[in-house]
Amino acid sequence: MAANKRNITLGFFVSAGVLLLVVALYLIGRNRNMFGSTFHLRARFQNVSGLMSGNNIRYSGIQAGTVKEIRMIDDTTIEVDMLIDESMRQFIKTNSMASIGNEGLMGNKVVNITPASVPGEEIEEGALLVSKIVPGTDEMMGTLSNTNENVEELSIRLVNTVNRINNSKALWRILDDTTLSDGLRTSMLNLQAATTNLNIMSAEFAALVHDVRLGEGALGAVISNDTVASDLKEAVANIKLVSEESIKVLLRVDSMVAETKSDLQNGDGIANKILNDTALVTKVNSSLESIERGTSSFEQSMEALKHNVLLRGYFRRNAKKQNGKQKR
Amino acid sequence: MKLPDYISGFFEDTGNMARFVARYFRELFRPRYEVRQFVRQCYLIGVLSFPLIAVTGFIMGLVLTMQLRPSLIAYGVESQLPVMVGLSIVREIGPVITALIFAGKISSGIGAELGSMKVTEQIDAMEVSGTNPFKYLVVTRVLATTLMLPVLTVLSDAVSLYGSYLGVNIKGHTSLTLYFFQVFQSLGFGDVLPALIKTFFFGFAIGLIGCYMGYNSKKGTEGVGRSANAAVVVSSLFIFIIDLLAVQITDLLGLN
Repeated sequence: MAANKRNITLGFFVSAGVLLLVVALYLIGRNRNMFGSTFHLRARFQNVSGLMSGNNIRYSGIQAGTVKEIRMIDDTTIEVDMLIDESMRQFIKTNSMASIGNEGLMGNKVVNITPASVPGEEIEEGALLVSKIVPGTDEMMGTLSNTNENVEELSIRLVNTVNRINNSKALWRILDDTTLSDGLRTSMLNLQAATTNLNIMSAEFAALVHDVRLGEGALGAVISNDTVASDLKEAVANIKLVSEESIKVLLRVDSMVAETKSDLQNGDGIANKILNDTALVTKVNSSLESIERGTSSFEQSMEALKHNVLLRGYFRRNAKKQNGKQKR
Repeated sequence: MKLPDYISGFFEDTGNMARFVARYFRELFRPRYEVRQFVRQCYLIGVLSFPLIAVTGFIMGLVLTMQLRPSLIAYGVESQLPVMVGLSIVREIGPVITALIFAGKISSGIGAELGSMKVTEQIDAMEVSGTNPFKYLVVTRVLATTLMLPVLTVLSDAVSLYGSYLGVNIKGHTSLTLYFFQVFQSLGFGDVLPALIKTFFFGFAIGLIGCYMGYNSKKGTEGVGRSANAAVVVSSLFIFIIDLLAVQITDLLGLN
């Protein structure tokens, strides 16, 4: 009885161990798509970045299958044979794209199948998916390295610029000058006032243009009124006529001057008589001498009047007034 | 030229052990089969070792998880804790720790039991009575250790993983389903099968060395103690040697 009980316990013990092993193997097998119906898909890449048989395949992030085989087609093409769960077939379309990614930052490689944005036909067994090249870590590091170099160069230049700004006396003098800011402020206010005036002028000019268009005002009348235009035309014609007459008059004056000049040279004419008559000159000279003498005697008379008892007071008052004005 | 005693003794032991192994395989396939004794040994060796193995496995899973957590947090991969612990337990720690505990308990027991039978001449008496002592004592025990250790390892792995699950939940929170899903997601046949296969060799070595040491016990009761001690030491050493060979072979086969 004891032996029987012992056997039952042993049987239970061994069964438990075997069952656990079978369950574990089943779970692993299921993860590797060993059970259940599957179908094949293919994708071609130039670089599989360390992808291995047994790596997972994700469709929009959902576990869809595993990599069955990786083989070289030619020197630049690698074909990945994928084992996909049959239940995913209805979702994967012919225009879906395959790319190689990572499970997390440091995880295993994984094939990502992403659906296209436009509808497509249901995929067939063994179909070749379009592959998409995703920038790998190396490419990203390469780009990052270039960016770093650029940033370094920029920072060096920035430091130089800042140093130059710091060392610039002229710039700091401008920045420290408080009157400059006041002046700038005044200038700005003036500019503001000028702008305001310009606005007003602009508005007035617009009104003027408006008036002109309507034919109002002198300019409007000139532009829009036909009679004014004809008058203007007539005035211009008159000016032209007058200028022509003036030219004729000038020509006549010119001829007269020429005649006078020839008379003077030849001793003919009135002008010549006036200029060449000596008796007339003598008469004029004697008249001028008489006037001079008269003026001299007048001055003497005036001097005598200043010393006259009756008029002396008048002349003194006048002299005082003159002196007062000069002092002021 | 006379070799030093320890060298000649080593080669003598090696030769004796080789003969012992050869005799084991010879007796294993030759009828009559001691089925009743084999089942009894399976019970004694397998079932009765389970509580000890389960406790050590549970503690191992729990401690390993708690010890690994800070390192994984430092690298920002705390979410990979189940994967890390699962792989460690299934591939290496589970089989080796189970085998060592098993060796400590079983190999010494077999060594002492057979040694005392040898020095009290019970083995000679069995031969006189017409029972094949090698078949009855050695073959059943070695076969039982060879077959029971893999079962114990599978059960120990399960208990360890449960202990690890509890360890994850001490400072974090994850469901049992998610935990086991993550563990099995990371496991492959290449992780489970080589680890399982090497436990057969561990069990074989433990049983064989225990039986050899006991069966060749000398010098009275002192020899019994020495046999028990030597059985544990040598079988533990053999576990690591086999583990070293196993990892080399799995590496050559591309299973690592």
